Order: sequence, then structure tokens, then C-alpha cells
Amino acid sequence: MDKTFITEELNSLSRRDFFKKTASVSAVAAAAILSPSSLLADDENIVHHTQWGTTLGNELNEHPYGLPSKYEHNVVRRTSSLMSSAGDMHAAVSMTPLHELEGIITPNGLHFTRTHNGIAQIDPNKYRLMIHGLVEKPIVLTLEQLKRYPSESRIHFLECPSNGAGEWKGPQFNSLQFLKGMMSASEWTGVRLKTILDELGLKPTAKWMLAEGSDGSEMGRSVPVEKVLDDAMVVWAQNGEALRPEQGYPVRLLLPGWEANLCVKWLKRLEFSDKPWYAKEETSKYTALMPSGKAIQHFYALEVNSVITSPCPEKPWSDLVGGELVEIEGLAWSGHGTITNVDISLDGGKNWVEAKLKGLVLPKAWTRFSYMHKYVKEPLLLQSRAVDDSKNVQPTVNQEKAIMGVEGVYHRNSICTWEVTLKGEVNNVQVRSI
Amino acid sequence: MFKLDLYKLITTSVALVLSSTLLYGGSDTSTLPGKYVSKMGAVDGGVTYPRKDGTYTAYRYNDQSTKGVNFGRTPTANELKAWDVDIMPDGTGLPDGEGLVSDGDELYEKQCATCHGEFGAGGKGYPTLTGGNQEKLPNGVIKTLTNQRVEPGMEAPKRTIGTYWPKASTLIWYIRDAMPYAHPKSLSNNDIYAITAYLLKQDNILIDGQELDDDSVLNREKLMKIKMPNENGFYPDIDGPNGVENVRKFFSDRAKNIGSGTRCMKDCKDPSTKGNVPTVMKIDNEITDVVPPYTTVRDLPPEIESKLETKAEKMYNDACKLCHGSDKMGAPVVGDVEAWNKVTQKGFEKVVHNAIDGMGGMPPKGGFENFTNSEVQMIVEFMIDSSKKKQ
Repeated sequence: MDKTFITEELNSLSRRDFFKKTASVSAVAAAAILSPSSLLADDENIVHHTQWGTTLGNELNEHPYGLPSKYEHNVVRRTSSLMSSAGDMHAAVSMTPLHELEGIITPNGLHFTRTHNGIAQIDPNKYRLMIHGLVEKPIVLTLEQLKRYPSESRIHFLECPSNGAGEWKGPQFNSLQFLKGMMSASEWTGVRLKTILDELGLKPTAKWMLAEGSDGSEMGRSVPVEKVLDDAMVVWAQNGEALRPEQGYPVRLLLPGWEANLCVKWLKRLEFSDKPWYAKEETSKYTALMPSGKAIQHFYALEVNSVITSPCPEKPWSDLVGGELVEIEGLAWSGHGTITNVDISLDGGKNWVEAKLKGLVLPKAWTRFSYMHKYVKEPLLLQSRAVDDSKNVQPTVNQEKAIMGVEGVYHRNSICTWEVTLKGEVNNVQVRSI
Repeated sequence: MFKLDLYKLITTSVALVLSSTLLYGGSDTSTLPGKYVSKMGAVDGGVTYPRKDGTYTAYRYNDQSTKGVNFGRTPTANELKAWDVDIMPDGTGLPDGEGLVSDGDELYEKQCATCHGEFGAGGKGYPTLTGGNQEKLPNGVIKTLTNQRVEPGMEAPKRTIGTYWPKASTLIWYIRDAMPYAHPKSLSNNDIYAITAYLLKQDNILIDGQELDDDSVLNREKLMKIKMPNENGFYPDIDGPNGVENVRKFFSDRAKNIGSGTRCMKDCKDPSTKGNVPTVMKIDNEITDVVPPYTTVRDLPPEIESKLETKAEKMYNDACKLCHGSDKMGAPVVGDVEAWNKVTQKGFEKVVHNAIDGMGGMPPKGGFENFTNSEVQMIVEFMIDSSKKKQ
């Protein structure tokens, strides 16, 4: 990729000047809203009866399993042949339309999906889970038996560690969906692994657990027992219903905050050992090559991160005329803990103000933030920066690059920048020195 | 310049929590939304939260005893034998059997080359298995792995089996469980040793200090002797009794080891800011190859013709589309009228015959040997029909 470095002259207004200016513009906007109604045209959607108000609607049993409105047909996962092997959609990834989501839960049909050998279609009657190795009592469970264990439900995000991997050397996609859509969040229901293991009797020599899937790729990963006994779960439900096949139906592992790749889908087997396994997805892939030429092999938690979801390239401010008071909204998350603060910059990271967190603030979950902005028609460089309760601060592109280089592929969490143009269009750019 | 100190911030928030306990009538600090008691020092570098008195962060849980909850049954010896087949670096799980490099060569051509390219050299869009320069720097690091494409035209680090993979056990384990891609777990133990041997030879891996040749045999004993060139190319050290502690130590110093930000609030000086002006890198060549195309329009979807998938189409989709669905694999692409005109010039009988017996890079019946000959004929008919010029 060729790199051109464009230096943008930004209005280097001091914050005081900035607010003085917006105050006068907003007075103009207010005048428009209060202009006499005699000058306005009638809206025919109000003054005439609607089609749907004058006919019988559809029968309620048309779709025993409900569907979104037909008008929402463009709210879908998207993919690109560049995110697959040779355009083959059995080993590919599809991205969640973050720009269309509200709150902190992803609808099941929009959850991002990564597969290494297609989406396994498992007959739940033939499903078995085996737990063995360094345990006193190895077991096999049917799905029904597994679901007899006392359940817990928790809200957690799942993120592929290669979320944004195309952007190490510079911005590539002008889209929130493709910049950060390799993540989703759900309320997961299942059993804590500790609850099962307390009965099976984990031997003191057990230090590692192999989680293995039953799909064609038999995806496996090694997990330290410490995580297994802390907050790991074996889950069978997402957002109140059975897991979707794309998410590992009927059962997957959930390691809150850790690489989604470790949260093995179509889970078949958990084995305990005193050694790690060196599975294919923890050696040839999912290892981060550093500038030294050595690679970080076991890279677990997704680091503190955030992105502004409104505005974004798909949902720009080009309809605004200036003077409006508008919400800057976004998502923050950390696999290391709970979001404590999110800061917003309008000038590419020079000056920052603290945004407000809103809604539920939960560990290892998406957290919504909000900042009310007096919009003026002028260029901006919008950024968000998250802080968590593990003392992590989201790095700038340069801060991250200084340690990680540009070839690591995985675990990119540096600050995102939206360029808002004079016309209110929004573009994915990066503030970086090289 | 005023720089907010994170510790100060945390202290402030603790103070806030303390003062709010008065407001909330002495309730526990954890009842303030989003502020939870936590402990540093988790293996991933983060915090852990206590589960206490039926409360876990914002969640309540049932803290009745679960002792005695016990479902399922003991696996039989045969069940364990069937499923406990992972292969570890110490040789645990390596099957009996052996394979010749030359047999692996033949198998590779038939079963693997369509995706991984001739000699494992890639080029088909699937992972490149061989090649790359294994030359090492004085510190033992493979030189090309230090490549960083910070300028246009620079060479990428090449991550192949020979230059990157730390263990040979991973290779044979993955081949046995997950390959060939379209019909995994179909190879015999001798086959997996043979294909592994062939790839190791292509990657110039030594056994007992010797390069492999066509007559070299690979078996359990020989595989366990292999030291991969990049075996020491990974950190922190996860092996041995201190493995987990090494990981914990590594992630406890994230600023040094993986990079970290600073919470500056005003007049922040980042190296990417020249004077008062941030340097902005824009998208150079935007990637727009997106399916379905970008749009946020709310309209009615285009009417889709109702169409039932025939049995032949389903078999095609499951078995043949992988290679015949795109031009990346060199197979005639279904829908390409010209390509299929050429194919059908041979005569229908001959085309069906080739599909059954295999041809070029395609194994017999495309590797799906459970298809009957008449099923293959149905699929061929479907592929030809789908590649006729639309009237």
C-alpha cells in the first residue's frame, strides 16, 4: 500500500473561542425551529391517512419465529473476499454492523462470525461433551445433562483479536463495520466451569486446559487453569435462546474478555494437563510477531478499547446544518476489567474532555459513552480514549506502534480517528507520525 | 502542561465511592453502578472480581451449595481412545505408523496442492506452507521475521512452517484432524506421516542433522527428534512449572511489553503532532470489495424468485463449489460460459468420466468418494446447465 501523508490544518481554536462561536451559530438554528408555521409546507405523512392505517395488517402467525421489518434488510453482517481464503466463505469472517446497533447487546443474527472449516451443523441429540485428563472423575455429558447444571447468565463482549488487523499500516476501510465489526456482545447463559470441576475434582498438577471443537477444523486452544476457575463458562444460550450455529450451537466455551478464538465453538472436549498443547491456532496463527522478530505466543485478554459509533462513515453528520446540539456516542470495552472513563477529543488528540458513561457498566462488556456536542460546520478529528479499572489507558497509534510494530496482526487497540469534513462527511483516518 | 495521573484518578474515584456510601446509607461500595471491588494480578494482566455473599460485580448469583450436583457418566476406554487423540510436543498422542517423503509428495499433489499450491508454496489464497528464508541473526532470531513494512515496497515477514511454526507436533496434529480441508479426518496414519514428511522436506527441516530426501521415512521416534528452526521465536516461555507465572509476569508490565496510553487531557504532545497540528494519514486505496455492498437505506428488499435447491445443486454447493466457485483454484468456474464450452467439447460422457476418475489437480469425485457415479453425473449436469449462455 502506498502511503501518502497528508497534513491537515485544523482550526486550532482554543476551547473558549470554540464555545463562543458555537453559541452564536446555535442561536440561528433555534430561530429556524421557531419560525412561523405559516411558512412551512405540510407533511403528507401527517395530513393524509397512511396505507398501513387503512388496511388490515398481517396475520400474527405468519412468522412463528419473528423477523425484522422488511425495511431493515440492509442491516446485515458483511464480509469481504479479502477476509477469507481465496474468497472461500467456509474459512472467513463476517462483520457486525456496529453502526446500526443500539445499547450493549448484539441481536443473534448480527453476531460477527469467524469459521475455520464452515459452520458445523450439530444434531443436539448426538452432541457429547467430554471432560477428562487430570481430574479425579472424568465425564461425558449429553446436552440435556449439561443443561441440568445450575446456570448463570452474564453479559460479555466477544472480539476476534484480529479486529482492525488491516489497519496496522494505515487506514483501509471507510466503514465502522469493517474497522471494528469483528466483535459483538450478548447475554450468555451456561454453567461456570468451576461448578462442574468442583465435583470432578481437579488434580493439583493440572495447570492447563485444552478446549477442542468438533467442527471440521477441530479448533483447539490451551487455557491456563487459573482462568478456567475464575470466570470461565460453558454456555448453551445467547440472548435468551439457543446459541446460533455460527456461534457454536449447541455449546461453546466462554472466557470473558479473552480472544474470541479461545472461546471454542461446537465444544467437544476439555482436557486437563500440566503442559500447554501448541495447537495450530496458538502457534501458526493468533501469535503476534513483534519488531524483534519474536512473537508473543499466548496473548489472552483484549485490551482496553473504544470507538465512536455516531457519527461514523456509515452514519455521518452531512444532514446537519450547524448549530445543532448533537450526541457523540460510542462503545468502550476492556477484556482486563471494567471501563471507568472515556475521553473525547475533537482535535485529533491534542485536547480531551471526559464523556459520560451510560446504561449498564459491566466487567468485560460493551459500555456506552456519550458526549453532547454543539455542532459547527467545520472540520474535526474525533477520537475516543477509554480507561479501565486495571489501570489501562487506550494508546495512540504511535504509542502502540512503538512497541508492537506493524506486523503483529493481532490485538490492535489504538485510538480510532474519524475525520469530519466541512460537509459533515465522516472518514476513517489515523493520526500517526509514519 | 497538566497531565492527569491515573493513580490520582483512581484515588479520586475511590474517594467518590466512599463519600457516596454516606449518600447511599452505608451500602457496600460495589452497589455504585460500574464500580466494583477488584484485585490486580490476574494471569492476563487484568483484575479479578470476588464472588462473595451471592454477589459478583453487578450480578447476583445463587450461592447455595452445588456440592453433589453431578450429571453425566464416566467415559469408556474406547470413547477416550477415540477422542483423546491430541498430539503434544512431547510426543503424547503420536500415532503408530510411518510415511515416506515420496509417498507424501504424491499425496500432497492429489490432496493438498489445489489449495496450498505446488510444493506448499501457496499462491492459491490459502496458507503458504513452505519457503521463506530461515537465516538467523547472531541472537538466534530468524532475520526475515524482523521485517516491518513501514515503507511501501518493503518485504513482509514470511510465516511458513519452516520459518515460523515452533513445533512439528502441531503440523501432524492439524493434518490428521483438520485436513484435507473439504474432507478432514480421511487420511490414514501412514498418510499423515508421509504428508508431514514431505512438507518438512520442502521446508528443509533436519532430522539427526540430516536433510530429508525422497526415501526418508518419518515415524514417531523421528518426529520427536525434530527441532523447528523458530522453536525459540516465541515468548513468554509457557513451558515448565513456571509457564503460567511467566505469562503473568509478562502481562503485568503491559506498558513495556505491549504498549500503553497516557491520560493526558490538555495540549497533549504525541509524536504524531507536529507543533499544534496532528498529522493525518488518510485511506490511500480504499477497500470496497464488500458483500453485500454498503448501504443504510431503509427500503423494501428486491423480490427474490422463489427457488428450490435441487439435490444436485446441494451436492455441488457442499462438495464442488470450493474449487469450481471461483477462478482462484484453476478449475473451470461454474457460470463461465466460455470455460464450460471448452469442457463440454470433450463430450458429456468424457466429462463425467473425468469427474469420477479425477483430473489434473482434482482427486477422484473431487475427493468425495462416497458419491455414487450417478450422483457425480447429476452434479456434472447441474454444473453444465448453470454454465450455459442465458437466453
